[in-house]
Order: sequence, then C-alpha cells, then structure tokens
Amino acid sequence: MEYAFLLDLGRCIGCQACVASCKVGNELGEGQQYIELIEKTNGEFPNLTGGWDNHRCFHCADAACVTVCPTGALFKEDGLTRLERDVCSGCSYCTEACPYDIPVMYEGKSSKCDGCAATVSAGGSPWCVGTCPSAALEYGPREVIQAEAHKRAEAMRDRYPNAHVYGETQAGGLGLLVVMPDDPELLDIPIDPKTPFMADAWQKVVQPAAVGITLGTAVLAGAAAVISRRNHEQEMVVIEAEGLVRDSEKSEEG
Amino acid sequence: MLQHDEGHELEVLRYRKRPRIVHAILASSFLLLLLSGLVILWPALSGIAAGGFTRWLHRVAAIGFMSVPFVYWIADREGAKELMVDSFKYDRDDWRWLKRIWSYLFGHAANMPKQGRLNAGQKLHHAAVMLLSASIVITGLAMWFFMPSLGATGQAWAAVIHDISMLALTLLLIGHLYFTFVYKAISGMTTGYVHEVDARLEHAKWVEELEEEAAVEADSESTPTPAI
Repeated sequence: MEYAFLLDLGRCIGCQACVASCKVGNELGEGQQYIELIEKTNGEFPNLTGGWDNHRCFHCADAACVTVCPTGALFKEDGLTRLERDVCSGCSYCTEACPYDIPVMYEGKSSKCDGCAATVSAGGSPWCVGTCPSAALEYGPREVIQAEAHKRAEAMRDRYPNAHVYGETQAGGLGLLVVMPDDPELLDIPIDPKTPFMADAWQKVVQPAAVGITLGTAVLAGAAAVISRRNHEQEMVVIEAEGLVRDSEKSEEG
Repeated sequence: MLQHDEGHELEVLRYRKRPRIVHAILASSFLLLLLSGLVILWPALSGIAAGGFTRWLHRVAAIGFMSVPFVYWIADREGAKELMVDSFKYDRDDWRWLKRIWSYLFGHAANMPKQGRLNAGQKLHHAAVMLLSASIVITGLAMWFFMPSLGATGQAWAAVIHDISMLALTLLLIGHLYFTFVYKAISGMTTGYVHEVDARLEHAKWVEELEEEAAVEADSESTPTPAI
C-alpha cells in the first residue's frame, strides 16, 4: 500500500516542533536535520503575505535521487523514499540530482527524511506528525491523505482563492501532498520539478548498454580468437617450412 | 645480420624493462579502475560500493593511472616521445595495412603490407587510448573535485562521458588481448623478447631498421677511428 504525508501550509504556524521532534526522535547528529522551516515574506508593505517553506523530502514517485543512487541506499517503499545510510557509499550524486535540493551529505553519507521507517514499522506515527500542534501534518494511506488534502484546500478557498493540492502530478506524484494556499513559487517550491534528462539517460540507457556491449564483444572476441589463432598457427607452419614470401614480393619477382 | 642478446639467440628485444614496468602500472591501475567502477555501474554488484571502499580504491587506482605519462616521461623519455609521435604518424604502408585489417584480424599476417615498430592498428590503438584517457581523466577529476559546481545536468554529462570513454577503452582492451592471444605476443611484455620470425612477419620494416643499425655499429667497430 502507498502511504503519504499531508502538509497543510494553511495551518503551519512555524513553531518548529516538527523540526525538534524529528531531530530527537530520529537521534540525528549535531547539525543534521531532515526538516527545515524557512520563513518567506512576499509583497510590499502593507500588502504582505508570508508562509513557511517546509524544506523536507517530498518523496517523489519518480525520485531523481533513487534513479542516480548507485548502491541502492535510496529506494522506494510504500510510496516513500527510504534511505539506508549503512549502504550509502557517499558518492553525493543524490544531492546534485534532487530537484528540491533535499539530500545533503552528513559525515560523508547522504542524509534525508526516510519517512520514519523504523518508527512506523513499529506501529507509531512519524515524529513530525505526532508532534504537530496545529494538525498541519498528517500521515496515512495515500488515498485517504489525498481526499483530506482536497477537502482542506476547498475549505480555505474563501480566504485563499488560489488554494490547491500540490504534489498529485509533480515528479510522478509526491508522497508529501501539500495543501498550498497560493503559488508554490512564492515559497521557492518549483511548480514542475524535473529530473535532469541526462541523469535518466545515464542510469537507464548508457550504463546497461555499456555492460551489454562489453559482454557481447567479449564473447564474440573470445570465439573469433580461437578461430584466428588457428589460422595464424597454420600460416606459421607454412612460413617455417618455406620461409616468409609475401604476395607483393612474389609479384615483384615474377 | 641482427645481433642477438645472450640467451635470446632466436629472439629480438622488443620492450626494455622500463617501458614494461610502465605498461604494468597502466594495466594494473586500469583493471582496478574497471573493477571498482563496475560495482557502481552494475546494480547487482553495487552493494560492494557501500561504505565507500570502492570509491577509495577507485581514487587510489586513478592516481596510479594518471601517473603513467609522468612515470613514462621520467623512466624512458625517448620511448615516450617515440610512442607519442609514432601513434599519430601514418605512412602509405599503414593506410594500405588498415585497408586489409580484416585479414590481419582473422590471423593472416603474411600478406599484410610491411610495418614498422608499431603496426597501423597498434598506432590507432595507442592514439585512441591517449585521447580517451584524457577524456576520462578530465571528467573523473571534475566529478572528484568539482561536483557541487557541476550542477545536476553537468554531473550527469560528466558521468555519461566518463562511462562512454570507459566503454571504448574496455572494448580496446578486449581487442588488445585478442591480438595478443591470436599472435602469441605476450612474451613482448613479460620477458621483453619476441621471436625473430614473428618480428619479421609483423614488423618487417622495424627489423630492417635494427639490421641497418647493427651493420653501422659493426662497421664503426671494424674501421679504426681516423686520427684528426
């Protein structure tokens, strides 16, 4: 079953409780965090609008980080993007590929939200969801979360005419559905995040093709080598018996 | 007449010790790079890359690989220069040889046009290795040191060029091993000597040069230096 987070930016009060509980609950190291709240203000006084950019993993269905990860440390599970740090080789391809700029290198390995895999599998809810005092965060089956997101967006449309659900189509559908009161770019969240084309081509075409071509050539060369070596051995028998006479020299003599 | 070294009466010295050592550094570092790179490329092996061991190995091997031109220059300056120049210089016999490469490919050397110390195929091989190595070193260093400033697209491009260069080098390696096997040429890199019969067959112009040199030497030894 696919799971998802709900992030209601109409309700987020920027209290940082999610940041703190995530850090404590996941026993993150010094300077390491999975969620960062960045205050954004737009417009000119007195017509100001503002909000909190929740800088955290969006759990893309077509996750660029998973595409480029060579070791499988990053992978998809239950609709979320997991990270097994023990398996990370620290290549940092993911930090470059992510269109949301989420994974960072911490102590030589990738670091990002893994959807509280351990806590959830033990029957709990993700730390951020459990702590949020304004019900801006929810977690559950994706369908339920999606319906809830639409309900909430609809409900706030009187105050926020542009309110909508962000994340249904982006990057193949996000595992973090956002109730977005206004244009996401006001919070520096891209409307259409893209996996770099070359990254896709690299992992899905160039690498498998390279392995295939190499193995194919090796097999072909191996077979041809046996035949050609025999040809050369026969040629050497003639040369040792009759001496080396090239065709070109024969015609010169003739 | 060719002069023969003691213990190698039927053989010709093809590679001295120093170029052989340079070749061994190149070969071993290349194989380490290939294997440590393959674990990243092949998902089934990627578990070995976890924890960063192969990344460390890849970089150590890369230093060995990049040191090759410098080591060659220090150890055998004349040889390095000759290889550089020879690999990019093709005479009429070389072009004629390349036109008939299929015959050589299948083990028939007797009717190939006469070749110098390097045949035209070896020249192309060396030239391609030099150019592809430059490409792989540049993209490799870019990913090693300038990852953040490359950006997502730049990094992907560097990786793609790196991979394709390595693919080409690996195919060249297969060809290299193929000809070594077909023409039983391994002794050139182990003992440094090859059979004179083989040398005359495959590098006739080179053997002729050696004979001329030997004749000149013999000449200067027999005629006393005139007093001035």
